[in-house]
Amino acid sequence: MSSFARPTRRTVTGLGAAAALGLLAACGRPDETESGPAAPAEPIAEGAATGSLTVWAMGAEGEKLPELLKGFQEQNPDVTVEVTPVPWDSAHDKFTSAIAAGTAPDVAQVGSTWMAEFVGLNALESTPEEVATDDYFPGALEAVTVDGTVYGVPWYVETRVVYYRKDLAEKAGITEPPTDWEGLVALAQALQEKADAEWGISLQPGGTGSWQSVMPLIWSNGGNVVDEASTEFTFESGQNEEALAYYQSYFTDGLADPAPADGTTEQDFVSGRVPMFISGPWMMSAVESVGGEGFAGKYGVFTMPVKETSSSFLGGANLGVFQGTKNRDAAWKLVQYLSTPEVQVEWFGMSTDLPALQQGWEDETVASNEKFEVFRAQLDTALAPPVVATWEQVAASFDAQIEKVCKDDLAPADALAATQSEAQGIGTGA
Amino acid sequence: MLERRNPILTNIVLLGFLLLVITPFLWMVLGSLKTQGELLRVPPTWLPEEPTLGNFRRLFDRPFAKFFSNSAIVAIVVTAGNLLLSSMFGYALAHLRFPFKKLLFVLVLGCLMIPGLVTFIPQYVLVVNLGLADTLPALILPFLVQPFSVFLMRQFFLGLPRELLEAGRIDGVGEIAIFFRIYLPLAGPAFATLGILTFLGSWNNFLWPLVVSSSESTYTLPVALALISTGQNQTDYGLLLAGATLIVLPILVVFLFFQRYFIQGIAATGIK
Amino acid sequence: MSTSTTTAGTDGRPAAAGSRRRSRRGAAEARAGVLLALPFVLLFAVFTAWPVLQSMFMSFTDMRISDIRTPFAVDFVGLENYRTAFADPVFRRAALNTGVFVLLGVPLTITAGLAAALALNTGVGRLRAVYRVGFYSPVITSIVAVAVVWRFLLQPGTGLVNTVLGWVGIDGPHWLGDQRTALLSLVVMAVWRNFGTSMIIFLAGLQAVDPGLHEAAALDGAGRWRRFVSITLPSIRPTMLFVLVTTSIGYLQFFEEPFVMTSGGPLNATVSASMYTYNQFGFGNYGVAGAMAYLTFLVIGLVTLVQFRLMREK
Repeated sequence: MSSFARPTRRTVTGLGAAAALGLLAACGRPDETESGPAAPAEPIAEGAATGSLTVWAMGAEGEKLPELLKGFQEQNPDVTVEVTPVPWDSAHDKFTSAIAAGTAPDVAQVGSTWMAEFVGLNALESTPEEVATDDYFPGALEAVTVDGTVYGVPWYVETRVVYYRKDLAEKAGITEPPTDWEGLVALAQALQEKADAEWGISLQPGGTGSWQSVMPLIWSNGGNVVDEASTEFTFESGQNEEALAYYQSYFTDGLADPAPADGTTEQDFVSGRVPMFISGPWMMSAVESVGGEGFAGKYGVFTMPVKETSSSFLGGANLGVFQGTKNRDAAWKLVQYLSTPEVQVEWFGMSTDLPALQQGWEDETVASNEKFEVFRAQLDTALAPPVVATWEQVAASFDAQIEKVCKDDLAPADALAATQSEAQGIGTGA
Repeated sequence: MLERRNPILTNIVLLGFLLLVITPFLWMVLGSLKTQGELLRVPPTWLPEEPTLGNFRRLFDRPFAKFFSNSAIVAIVVTAGNLLLSSMFGYALAHLRFPFKKLLFVLVLGCLMIPGLVTFIPQYVLVVNLGLADTLPALILPFLVQPFSVFLMRQFFLGLPRELLEAGRIDGVGEIAIFFRIYLPLAGPAFATLGILTFLGSWNNFLWPLVVSSSESTYTLPVALALISTGQNQTDYGLLLAGATLIVLPILVVFLFFQRYFIQGIAATGIK
Repeated sequence: MSTSTTTAGTDGRPAAAGSRRRSRRGAAEARAGVLLALPFVLLFAVFTAWPVLQSMFMSFTDMRISDIRTPFAVDFVGLENYRTAFADPVFRRAALNTGVFVLLGVPLTITAGLAAALALNTGVGRLRAVYRVGFYSPVITSIVAVAVVWRFLLQPGTGLVNTVLGWVGIDGPHWLGDQRTALLSLVVMAVWRNFGTSMIIFLAGLQAVDPGLHEAAALDGAGRWRRFVSITLPSIRPTMLFVLVTTSIGYLQFFEEPFVMTSGGPLNATVSASMYTYNQFGFGNYGVAGAMAYLTFLVIGLVTLVQFRLMREK
């Protein structure tokens, strides 16, 4: 053990460094070839589906999906479908790791903000012509369209509307929900002055996801943060500035809390401390469970106030077929099955996820709830976030600027300029 | 453990701290019996107003036994492996001389200092390339040896007297036998500590099993729990707390089992 | 206790019979050492060391997530990623926050852990097991429960802390919402959460303290504090080093507290280096994220080295 000449430490280090440098020198990107529009997808084979399919779906959807797919099994007895439910928590990490390692499923539920990123990774197949895409809500279809090509289909949607305490508003002398920007401010003021509310409305003062509150105002004012083709960022514009200034005014005028505690929205709504907020359909059951019996009658919802239009944030989830699937035909047939109106309605019954197909809304079960009517109306004008592969990072940058606007009185024009320059630095990842 | 000055005073102070410290744990257990509505209330309530076992019932709608056994198998094997392999290596680092010893220690310690995030994807790709994706060995192998464990065992063995080693050599006992027959039996307290910490880490591990498992049959408890309680836009707190309470129980069992060994002392070596 | 590296001489010619015996013993010792080390080292090399090398390589390229399948089809950018990290004001803030967190949190945690271990060791009777489990419970409680309770404690209006402060006439701040107090609140929360781990490690280390020494010293008239400083502390030196190093390493990578409680806010007052790195990974900027991770590693390495030197391992 002691007789052979051990290489000195210096030799070992030197060899190691040389090897490392050699490796690094050996790498290099191939020259960029012009990427045109994606080649059109191949048609789906005729006949029933066969073989096996792996499907990933998140959370509650993942648990209920097997039930929904029983109908698919009956129509296609020769196919076996394995559904793996995946937690929402860290689902994005699971997908990107799988894509990286080549272990992605055949079909999966894809979060609405992930589409552009996955397309950029060449992970998703484009939608073949046999799959109908004309009856979706416009915003939902846009969310699955990257560079003019449709990838996958929308599955279910959600959008945000204004929740308000009807009873407290009446006490403050307002019987009809407001329809424009000035009206919303007036309602918040009235609630504060005449209905003992501490804050007129709950708005997120920056921080993660606050862009989802500000973007609808930008859209309502006719502005946008990307151009038509989603190739450039357009944060700086008069309309955007006006919208952001409007948002800021709630904080500077003392109508919204610039330092709210976390997780108190439902409680504040029920107690009347903050009797207005903007959120999606899931909050209905949340406030009703805190408010207890009879609370459902005390509150109402209304569509976002109009400036030029009444726009809102469109979320939900989509269905995607992954490249590298070994059972392409069956995968797309599954997607088709889930996109028929009857199945969309059946799904609503099981999960209360709102159908992405407009025809699905004509069914009794969906159309019956009067609060859902408001969501339906909002869906017509709701827009999805920019379909850009780097959106998460750009949005985080925007959130930080929004925070300064709300808490530090930063001028909206400066905030937008800062966001624009950071966004340009990040690029669209195209 | 000499004079016991004012044991009553000490006890009162300790009890006070204990109450402060244990509050969130108690709140977690009580919260598992509450409804979502009550859980969303601010300020939080203490005792459940309408205690319900509904959260637990919903938990068991899933194949809990499978998730539990996956977590148990992985945690037990990882803990046992760590105890054995780290004590071997730790002892060698503490008391034996062999080639590359210092270099190895620095390398192992160095990897302790590297943030886990950065090696995550390469580790995953490695596991996939080894054909181990979606298997229990993939959940076990990368954690069978950990820098933390070997560091702890090394420090512990450093604290044991070297005279035992010398005595063993004089008695003609082989080097490896010295380890297994003399030093290892003294490792009780270290085993207790390391056992608890390793078991805890493995039992609560979330991100790795999430990414490695692509079918429910290999899910562990934390993954299953996140699955049923985290939604796209909201969290089912009742389910989450019920699951968290259940998940904590085996750890408590492990803790109570191991903690007897905390009491073992040097006196047992008879070195006097 | 020597930590020498090589075995006897490089030419292997024993000088005398005595050294032949020594070198035979040395060979037996080395063989045993290698055998005991081998299983660990092999598994470690495959599952830890190799991925570490790969990721280090990553930090010198402009790799993004889209490149993972073709890891060599990326451009070597040298120290560009590191330069980007340094130039990023948020990363600098994160580094500062992390530094403050460690400087405050580590001593507090170690002191609390040692105090608890000592208290439990000096005969509190039958309740000892209860205390052990109780003090350890924050470590095993789900972070969700921890977050809810602590958020309630720190709420500006109705929170428990401010209510109690109000009784003595102090108007408590918005702990988590005020830039000046947010990080401090997280430090306190982290100490509360982690002192249990230090405690049980110290409990193990304290078993190595020879009670005979204490008896002798007490007979000589040494007081409790004197005995603690001169007997207990030196005896647990290896344990102390371990706790110091691992707690520092852990706190330098602190992630959960800001992630769950404040998401790095308000206005980046609580963002940590690890959390920011995690975000970069999430955005797919693998090259830059790798650089940030290795910068953190360098700092950790330095701190650890200093600690080893200070404790002067023999």
